[in-house]
Amino acid sequence: MENLFVGVAEGLRNSLTGAGLTGVWNDAVMMLVKLVGILLFILLNALWIVYMERKVCAYMQARIGPNRVGPKGLLQSVADIGKLISKELHIPKDADKVVYMLAAVLIFVPPLMVFAVVPFGQNMVAIDMNIGLFYVFAIGSLTSVVLWMSGWSSSNKYSLVGSMRVVAQMVSYELPLVLSLLGVVMITGTLSLTKIIEAQQNMWFIFVQPIAFLIFFTAAVAECNRTPFCLVEGESEIIAGPYTEYSGMAFAMFFLAEYANVMLISAMATIVFLGGWLAPFGWTFIPSWVWFFLKMYAMIFIVMQLRWTYPRIRVDQLMGFGWKVLVPLSLANIFITGIGVYIYRAIGW
Amino acid sequence: MFGKGLLKGLQITMKEFWTPKFTVQYPEQQHPVPERFHGKFELDPDGCIACGLCVNACPNKVISLNKEKVGKKQYLTEYRMDIQYCLFCGLCVESCNKDALKFSKVFGMCQYHYDRIPLILVKREAPPQPVEEEESAGKAEPKAGAGAAKAKKEAAAGKAPDKEGQN
Repeated sequence: MENLFVGVAEGLRNSLTGAGLTGVWNDAVMMLVKLVGILLFILLNALWIVYMERKVCAYMQARIGPNRVGPKGLLQSVADIGKLISKELHIPKDADKVVYMLAAVLIFVPPLMVFAVVPFGQNMVAIDMNIGLFYVFAIGSLTSVVLWMSGWSSSNKYSLVGSMRVVAQMVSYELPLVLSLLGVVMITGTLSLTKIIEAQQNMWFIFVQPIAFLIFFTAAVAECNRTPFCLVEGESEIIAGPYTEYSGMAFAMFFLAEYANVMLISAMATIVFLGGWLAPFGWTFIPSWVWFFLKMYAMIFIVMQLRWTYPRIRVDQLMGFGWKVLVPLSLANIFITGIGVYIYRAIGW
Repeated sequence: MFGKGLLKGLQITMKEFWTPKFTVQYPEQQHPVPERFHGKFELDPDGCIACGLCVNACPNKVISLNKEKVGKKQYLTEYRMDIQYCLFCGLCVESCNKDALKFSKVFGMCQYHYDRIPLILVKREAPPQPVEEEESAGKAEPKAGAGAAKAKKEAAAGKAPDKEGQN
């Protein structure tokens, strides 16, 4: 089981070599297969997370949730997507049509690009990049550009206000997000995700850097515009923020991308702080990729629980919290980690 | 301490997550209907003496009835309620001194077509005039003590169409 996917990839590579494909072409086909696999993985998980969110929400409100479409309502999100596909794509008269439709297409690009470097298990990484962590957050922050595109091109005041909030929020929270990870990078001395996971062999970084984890988690939830930081799409004030004018599948793309981003931050929290695919207590009889999923879904559950527990905060509270609490706290964390690393090095540990 | 309230909130949602759920899966399960529920009307056509008290009691003039005189008795031929105007106050049920009109526990009274909304509780032909009275009295022999009037009523019930067959 441990080497299930690695074995499949190896077998495919061998059969391609057997079919006379060698060198660059072999690599190209393999990479294509891996990326399509990741795309499928993201889409299926996004569908599942939509269902899971509705179930979790229902259970926390003493309800049952979707249970009619398919066994236990499992096909509910499939039915929803089917409905959305069949609906009209409405383009407002004054909209900047190219940018408007482009935003709906591009919204899925950052999560997809980021997932290419995420190690799902031992040796299970599509592209093992030595600056993986840097790449993840460089690409991940592009989401704000796409959301700004959608808000601006809709030529709708609610969309515009919403997307301005997106940009303000994402730029503010990008800072503590990245700064909180610097402590981990200082300890491991690498930006490669695989190496960061391997450095947690003895001790997960959540125990070494608990404050960094809290800052990272808070900022990451804000980064994907989830409650309690969901004032970007605050229904009570700006309808649906940048998504207001979108209908049908274009809306569904934003919707799915939100869940892809939730998955992404959960995966990043797992990799950087929860030991990625490493098994706790030496329980290696469960494959590494199962461990990764378990940890990732535990994080996703917490994100959902946050959503159904806390009310939305105001814009000034959001900005104040970001700049007055999270940024100084993450700078202090870097400072203390630096001293700690220096002391450990001085005593030669 | 910072974050204590936040943790408390998470605790509460976590507790809720595991509590039993309240949802009743409607078509398969139903809440029990209370004893005194004001639902669809039921009329015992044989108990009804077509006195018209219910018609008078109705504040919305929902009820209309037709009757014919058979022998010495009033015979109910049609009992119709324009249920879309009914406010289910129950004054008609209270006014019925024969307890023939009652509430049932049925609450599903929706119709797809407007002309099917009125509730026709009785629609039947009046029995022929008392010429047949002796015959029907002969049929009702087993109930020895019963008078001719009751026998006539039973005979009428036999001929009456299903009282709720209209809806």
